[in-house]
Amino acid sequence: MVAVQVIVGGLLLGAIYALFSSGLTLIWGMMNFINFAHGEFVMLGMYVALLVVVWLGGGPPLFGLAAAFSLFVLGVAIYLSLIRYVIRGPMLAQILSTFGLALFLRYSAFFIFSANFVSLPQTSLAGTIRIGGIFLPVAQLVAGVVAIVLTMALHVLLTHTGVGSKLLAVAEDRAAAMLMGIRPDRMQMLAWGLSAGAAGIAGALMATAYPWSPSVGETFGLIAFVVVALGGFGSVLGSLYAGLIIGLIQAISAFWLGAIYKDIVVYGLFVALLWLRPQGLMGKA
Amino acid sequence: MLLEATNVSKAFGNFLAVAGADLSVEEGEIIGLIGPNGAGKSTFFNCLAGETAPTTGRIVFAGADVTRASPEAHARAGIGRTFQVPTTFTDMTVIDNVMVGAFLRHPQRNDARDHARRIVELTGLRGDQPARSLGTPGRKRLEIARVLATGPRLLLLDESLAGLTPAELHDAITLVRRIHETGITIVIVEHIMEVIMTLTKRVLVFNQGHVIASGTPEAVVSEEAVIEAYLGRRHRRREHDG
Amino acid sequence: MAAAAGPDGQSVKPQRLTLTLLAAALLLYPLVLTNPFYLDIGVTFLLAAISASAWNIVGGYAGQVSVGHSMFFGLGAYTPLLFYTLWGWPPVAAVPAAVVLSVALALAIGLPTFRLTGHYFSMATIAVAELIRIFTGTWNLVGAAIGLQGPARARGWWDLTFRSELPYYYLFLGVLALVLATTALVERRRFGFYLRAIKASERAAASLGVPVRHTKMRALVLSATFTSIAGSLYVIKTGFIDPDSAFGILVSVQMVIIAALGGAGTLYGPLIGALILVPLQTATNSLFGGGGSGLTYILYGGIIVLIARFEPGGLYELWHRVAPYLRRRAHAA
Repeated sequence: MVAVQVIVGGLLLGAIYALFSSGLTLIWGMMNFINFAHGEFVMLGMYVALLVVVWLGGGPPLFGLAAAFSLFVLGVAIYLSLIRYVIRGPMLAQILSTFGLALFLRYSAFFIFSANFVSLPQTSLAGTIRIGGIFLPVAQLVAGVVAIVLTMALHVLLTHTGVGSKLLAVAEDRAAAMLMGIRPDRMQMLAWGLSAGAAGIAGALMATAYPWSPSVGETFGLIAFVVVALGGFGSVLGSLYAGLIIGLIQAISAFWLGAIYKDIVVYGLFVALLWLRPQGLMGKA
Repeated sequence: MLLEATNVSKAFGNFLAVAGADLSVEEGEIIGLIGPNGAGKSTFFNCLAGETAPTTGRIVFAGADVTRASPEAHARAGIGRTFQVPTTFTDMTVIDNVMVGAFLRHPQRNDARDHARRIVELTGLRGDQPARSLGTPGRKRLEIARVLATGPRLLLLDESLAGLTPAELHDAITLVRRIHETGITIVIVEHIMEVIMTLTKRVLVFNQGHVIASGTPEAVVSEEAVIEAYLGRRHRRREHDG
Repeated sequence: MAAAAGPDGQSVKPQRLTLTLLAAALLLYPLVLTNPFYLDIGVTFLLAAISASAWNIVGGYAGQVSVGHSMFFGLGAYTPLLFYTLWGWPPVAAVPAAVVLSVALALAIGLPTFRLTGHYFSMATIAVAELIRIFTGTWNLVGAAIGLQGPARARGWWDLTFRSELPYYYLFLGVLALVLATTALVERRRFGFYLRAIKASERAAASLGVPVRHTKMRALVLSATFTSIAGSLYVIKTGFIDPDSAFGILVSVQMVIIAALGGAGTLYGPLIGALILVPLQTATNSLFGGGGSGLTYILYGGIIVLIARFEPGGLYELWHRVAPYLRRRAHAA
C-alpha cells in the first residue's frame, strides 16, 4: 500500500511537471530557444498565489487565474523587450539573456521574500481524502488532476484550433508560414505568453500542496529540461508522458534511496539521455 | 568522371523531395542546375555537398564514395560549396575569413595568409576590411573567395549570383569564368537565365524531384517538358493553339 | 576581434606598449599598495581573471556557452584537498591529478553534446554542475556538506601555506600570464581561426573543412584544464572547500559575467571585466553587509541581461564602437 501511495504521489507531482514543461517545449519547438528562466516563472506563480491568498483572501480559482494571467503578461513582456532581439543574434547573447533573467528573478525573490520556505495558508483544498487503501492530501489530488487537464487542453489547443495550427505552422516552417499570411512575431509572442502562463498556473497548483522558497526555481528549471529532453523537444504530449515518468522516478528514488537522491537521479537521467537518446521519446532533436 | 550521382533520393517522412536523380560531371565542365522552386534541386544540391545524407543512391567523387561523408570530409576531398544566403564571419576581416578556408591545405599561418592574399587579390576584395562592412555583392564575392581558398576541384555554387545589379552580375560572371579557367569544375544552381546561358555548357532541369531534361542551354529551354515545368500545362497548350 | 592576428605590423606598436604598461602595473601593484586589504583585492582579481580567461577559451572564442564551468573549478579545488586528507599529499602535488579528472569530465560532456545544437551543451553544463554539487554534499569521503580542509600549518615550503598573501599574488600572476600567453598563441594559429569560425557559423565552418566537433572538444579540454588549475589555486590559498564554494552556480556565473562584461572572445576582455567587477563586488559586500550577496546577484543578473540585449561583445566592443566617434570629436574640437 505504501508503494501505491508513493506511485500515486509521484504521478500527481509529475502531472504538474508536465504542465510547466509543456510551455518550455512549446518555445523550443517554435524558436529553437531554451528559456533558462522557466523555473523562475513557476516560482513566481507560486508567490503570486501566496500574495492573492494573503492580500485578497482569494481561493484556488482566483489565485490560479491570477498566476496564469500575470505570468502570461510577464512572458509577453519579456518576449517583446528581450527575446525577439536576442533571437537574431549570437548564441552567447541568446543563452545569457534568459540565464541572466533567471538570476535576476531568483535573487529578487530572495530579496523580497527571504530564503525561508513558505506554504499557502489553509485553502478550501485542505484535508486528506481516502481512495482505495491510500490517503491523499486533497490539494495534491486536485492539483495533479487539474494539471493533467490543462496540459491536455494545451495539446488540444495546438492541434485542433486555428490559433494552434498557426503556432505549429511557425514552428514547422517560419518562411512558409509568413507566405501564408501568418505573422511569426505575433505567434512567438503568444507562445511566450502561453509558456509563462502555463508555468505560472503550474506554480499556483504546486503551491496548494507543497511548500517552497525562491530556490525552487532552479530545481524546476532543471526538471523542465529533463522532462523536455525525455519527452522530445517540441512535443506537448511527450511532455505529458515524460513529466509523469519523471515524477514517478523521483518519488521512487526518494522512497528507496532517500530524499536527497531524488534530484540526483533525475539529473543523472538527463545526462544519460544526452548520451543515449537526445531526441527523447517523441520529438525531433 | 569527376562526380557521379546515381539514383539519389531523399525523403523527409512521407515527402519525397528528390526521387531518383542522376548527375555526372566530367572534370573541367561547367554545369547548370535549374528548375522551379520546390523542384528538389536545393535538396539534391545539399546531398551533393554532404549536408544531407541521401535516403538512397550513391555519390562518387574522384573514385571515392562520398554518399554519407560529412561536409568537412567533402571539403577535404576537394568539393567546395557556397551558401544561398552568405554566411560571412562578420566579426572577422576579409583576409581572416579567407584564411579560414586557406588553413585546410596550409596548416601554417604564414602559408595560409600568403595563399589567402592571392585569393583576395584574384577576387578583387580588400583584405583588411571588416567583413561586416561589406554589402551583399561583397559578401557573395567573399563567400566564393573563402571556399576557393580550400583548393577545391569541384565548386558547387548555390544561387550565388542572385540579387545583384546588372553591373555586379557581369562582374560576378567574369569571376566565375576566371575560376573555371583555372581548371576548377563548377556546378551552378541558378534561376537567372543569363548566368545559365552565358556560363554553362550543359544544363540539367529538375522538376518534382528528378531530372526531366538535360542538354545545352539553348536546347533545354525550348524543350516542352521544361516550359511545362516552369509555366504549367495550360501555357503549353496555348502555345500550340495560338 | 583578434588584434594580434590582424593585418601585419599595423597595430603592433601600441599593443606592445599597452602590454608592457599592463605587465608593469601588475608586477608593481603589491609593492606600491602594500596594505593587506589591497593585496587581498589584487589576489582576488587575479584569480577571477584566471577563471574568466579560462572560460573565455570555450565560451568566448568558440561560442560554446558553459554555464556550469564551476564543475571544473570544483574538481580542481577538491582533488588536492582530498589527496591531502587521505594521504597527506601537499595540495599542489595533486594539481595534475585534478587536471586529469577535469579533462575526463570535459570529454564526457563534450562528446555527446557537441554533435547537437549549442543549447544542449549549455543545459548539460548546468545539469552536470548541479548534479556534482548535490552529490558531493552527500558523499562522506569528500566531507559531505562540511567539505575538506587543507594543511593548517606548513609542513614544509611545498605546502604553500604562506602567512602573507604576497607569494600567492605572484604565483597567481604567473598563472595568469600563462593563460593569457596560451590564449594569445591560440588566437594566432589555425586553432584560433577555427574557433572563431565555429562561433560565427558552424555550418559554414564545416563546409570549409573545419573539424567542428574535434575543435570544440579541444577548446573545452583546454578551458577545463585552466579552470581546474584556478580551482586548485583557490584552495591552495584559502585551505578550505565545500560543495557550494566549489560547484555552486555563483562560481559559474562569476566566470561568465566577468568575461562577458569585458568582452567575450577577446584576449583582455576577462581582465577588463575583473578589473571592474572585483572591486565592485568588494564594495557592495561591505556596503550591504550580510544581505549583500543577494543584491550583488540581482545586479549581476541585470548586467548579464543588459549585455545580452545591447552589447554581447562587452565593453571591448562598446569601446571600439564609441572610440572612433570620440576621436573625431576630439579632432574637431
